[in-house]
Parts: sequence; structure tokens; C-alpha cells
Amino acid sequence: MATGEPYIILEDVSYRYPNANHYALEGVNLIIHRGEFVAILGEHAAGKSTLCQLLNGVIPNFQGGQMEGSVVIGGLNTREVSVAELAQKVGIVLQDPEAQLFTTKVINEVAFGPENLCLDVDEILERVSWALRAVRLRGLEERPPTSLSGGQKQRLAIAAVLAMRPEVLVLDEATSQLDPVGTSEVFSVVWELNQEYGMTVVMATHKSEEVAKFADRALILHQGRLIAQGTPQEVFEKAELLRRAGIRPPQVSQLANYLRGHSLLLSGFPITIEQARREIERLLEGG
Amino acid sequence: MRPFIKYHPGRSFFHQLDPRAKIAFLLLFTMVIPFIRHIYIAVAMLLTVTALWCMARLPLRIMGDYLKMWGGLIAFLFVVQAILHPGEAVLINPLIPPSVPLIGGKGGITEEGILFAVLITARLLAIIPILPLVTMTTPIHLFVLGLVRLGLPYQLAYTVTTALNLIPTLQAEARVIMDAQRLRAFRAFERGNPIVRMKAYPLLVTPLVIGAMRRAQLIAIAMESRGFGAKEERTYIEDIAMKPSDWVFIGLTVAYCLIALLTNFLLY
Repeated sequence: MATGEPYIILEDVSYRYPNANHYALEGVNLIIHRGEFVAILGEHAAGKSTLCQLLNGVIPNFQGGQMEGSVVIGGLNTREVSVAELAQKVGIVLQDPEAQLFTTKVINEVAFGPENLCLDVDEILERVSWALRAVRLRGLEERPPTSLSGGQKQRLAIAAVLAMRPEVLVLDEATSQLDPVGTSEVFSVVWELNQEYGMTVVMATHKSEEVAKFADRALILHQGRLIAQGTPQEVFEKAELLRRAGIRPPQVSQLANYLRGHSLLLSGFPITIEQARREIERLLEGG
Repeated sequence: MRPFIKYHPGRSFFHQLDPRAKIAFLLLFTMVIPFIRHIYIAVAMLLTVTALWCMARLPLRIMGDYLKMWGGLIAFLFVVQAILHPGEAVLINPLIPPSVPLIGGKGGITEEGILFAVLITARLLAIIPILPLVTMTTPIHLFVLGLVRLGLPYQLAYTVTTALNLIPTLQAEARVIMDAQRLRAFRAFERGNPIVRMKAYPLLVTPLVIGAMRRAQLIAIAMESRGFGAKEERTYIEDIAMKPSDWVFIGLTVAYCLIALLTNFLLY
């Protein structure tokens, strides 16, 4: 759960895209603490990407549109600083790995951000080395990004933002185009960054199994509104709310809800396979 | 069709030239060729570009792809120039009788018309491979660095190279769209006559343009999110330095262009 002081503060934030009639986000109040791993869940067009882009200032500085309320990241109001300046506090990884890799070598891709900050070459190389080690891509420096697998490309995109040394890593459905192996690679790298380096992680995703396994807190967005938040356990227990929001809970949680529906009382509410195994064993032992 | 424009790794002498030397070659040849009015010089420049292509050890099949891609336009221009260019030595008499007002006497083919059409074709064939010859032998980050060291603001240099970089991506996307259409029995691009093909193009171009705009926006977001434009200057982990061979190449290019222009004006 919350491990540090409040770092991201959204106060009554509403946002409407240019030429849109309805709000993509409406009345969102949210505090994210330093070092937290927060997952954002919601169906398509629930406002997940909008929320992610609010965190690094792409909205409203780049996208335009009408924004109300305030977003403060590490003491900086996103309206008052440019996206490029905010990049040193918040790094964002987008859904499509192809669209965010635009150089011909892995090393150049990771160095692109620090080069923009006009750092010394030694400092840049040190950051590149650290970022590639953190995402387990050392040794691939000279490879063209196009030759990497989907999971490797997305890890490279993460390394590219890590080299900016941001305090918050935002992933906007960064695993939605990956196979299970690629998804697992990305989640484990992100989790390591959160655990070992204390990096704050905000991740918009549909992968409820991974949310159950890794996240400290889950947020549920529905039609632009933040309708629930809590630990993954608390959130996945609310079957009716999840159904209304179009979110599929982890399969073990569905099983738990089924067992509860048939008066088979569980002592806890399992959201991972390990927890479910323990609960079922307990149930069987109890006769 | 194979992707073009995209960097093609290699160790040829052309690959090892400084990007500035290659950019100088690109600019000089592209500016000089349109001024060539003499057929032999245009053919000589075409042969020079082809020789450089071979020396860069770039696959000739990619050049063949270019011919296929531009073939329709070149053939069209050839016919139009051959018919419309005025001349004395008539090879085929005018199709339209001279008595017809305004357009009478047109539609014939003269020797001068044919030679002019060959000149235009040679100039086009010489110009078309120059840009890919440079971009396919220069990694994109070094191409940017070359432009920056030549005095272009780095934001503008990246705009140029990002646009160039988008071409192979769009090529791949066009292929996907055409495959999707083919799967639904849409075969206008393969079997249709030119008019049917022209009518079918919006079906290809519309999703392509929408996709390109979306992709361009995502790239812009990704670049800005990595601090692009945060500072007036930026550093580069690799640097470039002009070697004696680069100066020799630039000298030879300048001399070649001057001789071509001079000979052209003397002969024409």
C-alpha cells in the first residue's frame, strides 16, 4: 500500500477533448503516494488513457481541449510546465511499441531522452547502461529495435523513459498488444522497478490477473468517473460493480464468487491462484 | 515490395562517408540534374548514380522496385513529351488533321520529341534513387547529426528524418490494408484497368492517411515525453568528423557537377 508521501494529486479534474461533446474524465479526485503501484482498470473509452496522459502533461499541453481542476506532480502543476520538463518526473510508455521507437539502434533509442536534456556523454552512457540493465536488455545495445520481440520492444520503451530518471512510470495499456510471455516480461520488470528502486507505477491495463498479483491499489474508471478504488482484493470482491464497469475479474475471483453464491463460505477472498489453492484446501479439509 | 528509404547496414565506402558528404552529394546532384538539357550528360549522370548504388552494395532489386513504382508515371511522361514536344523530323504524322481549330496538327511524333522524352526519362531515373542511396547508407541518427552540423536546428532535422522514417512504415501499412481488401475479394489494384484503380485509391488512401496521422501524433507524444525540445541544444552520444576521404568525395562531386553543367551549356 501507500509507502510514501502524496506525490500525484488530482483535484476535481474534468477533461473534454477538442470538439467532443462529452467529458472523457469527470470530477476525478485522486492521490497517489510515492512508491505505490497503482492499476487503472476500465473498459474501452472509460478514460484510462486520458488519465495517463494527464499525469505527464500531454493533456492539456499537447492535446488541447478543456480541462478543469488541477493535476500536481511532485509539487508541479501540469498546466504550468511543459511536457518536456515534466518528462524528468513522469515517464510514459504507450500502447503501441512500434510508434514510440524511432531510431535504428537500441542504444540510440535509450539515449534519446538524456540527449535532449543536454547531459554529458558519460552521464548519458551511464544512464543507458542502468536503464538497459533494469529492463534486462543488456547486450542488445547495437541491435535495431525492429528486430526485437514484442515484449522486448515494450521493455525497450520502458528503458527509454527510465533513462530520463523519472520518479513516476506511467504505462498506458503497455501490454495490450503483447502475448502472455511478453506481458509477463513487462509486468515483472515494472514490479522490480517498483520494489527495488521504489519507483511509483501507474498502469492502465485490462489484465486483471496481473493486477491482482502486482498492484497495491486498483482504480475503477467507468464512463470517465472514478467509481471505486482499493486494494485489488477489495475491488475484485465487488462483482456487481465490476460487471457494470465491464471489467473481467481474475478467474479465481470468479470462482470464489461462484462458491460464495453456493453458500460455500471462504475465510478470505482469493484473487491469485496461490490464494485460491490455499482457500480450496482449507475448504476440503473442513469437509 | 521491399521497404525502401530504410537504413541498409553495410561497410561499403559510401556507408562510411560522413553524412555531410552524402548530404552535399544529394543536394548537388538533385539541383544539377534538372538543368541538364543534353541527353548524353543525363545518361552519364544516371550511370554515375547507378554505379554509386552498386558500389554501396545496395540490392539492385530495390532499384527494380523503384522502376516498378515510378514506371507508370515515367511511361506517361515519356508519351506526353514525345507527342507534345515540337520538332521538324516527323516520324509519325499528326493524328489530328491540321484543319481542326486549336488542336490541329497535334498528335504526331517527331525525332526531337522522342529525344526530349528520353532526356526527361533519364533525368527522372537519375534523380529518383539519390535520396534512397543516401538514406539507405546512413543510420537515421547520423543523418540527423549531419543536418544539425550543417546548421539545421535539431527540431527541424528530426522533423525531416522522422517523416522519412515514416515512409517504410506507411508502405507496410498500405500492404496490410491491401491484403485485408484482397481477403474480401477486392482485386481492383491487381486486375482493374487504370480507371478502376483510380476509383479504388480512396479505399486505400483514406485508412492510410488516418493511420499516418494517428501514428505521427503518437510519435510526437513519445518524443515530447522524452524531453524533446526541452533545451535549445542537445548532446549526441556519437559524433561525426570529416575525414580526408570525405573532402575528396565532396571535391569530386563538385567537380563532376561543374563539368556536367559546363559541358551541357557548351553542347546545347
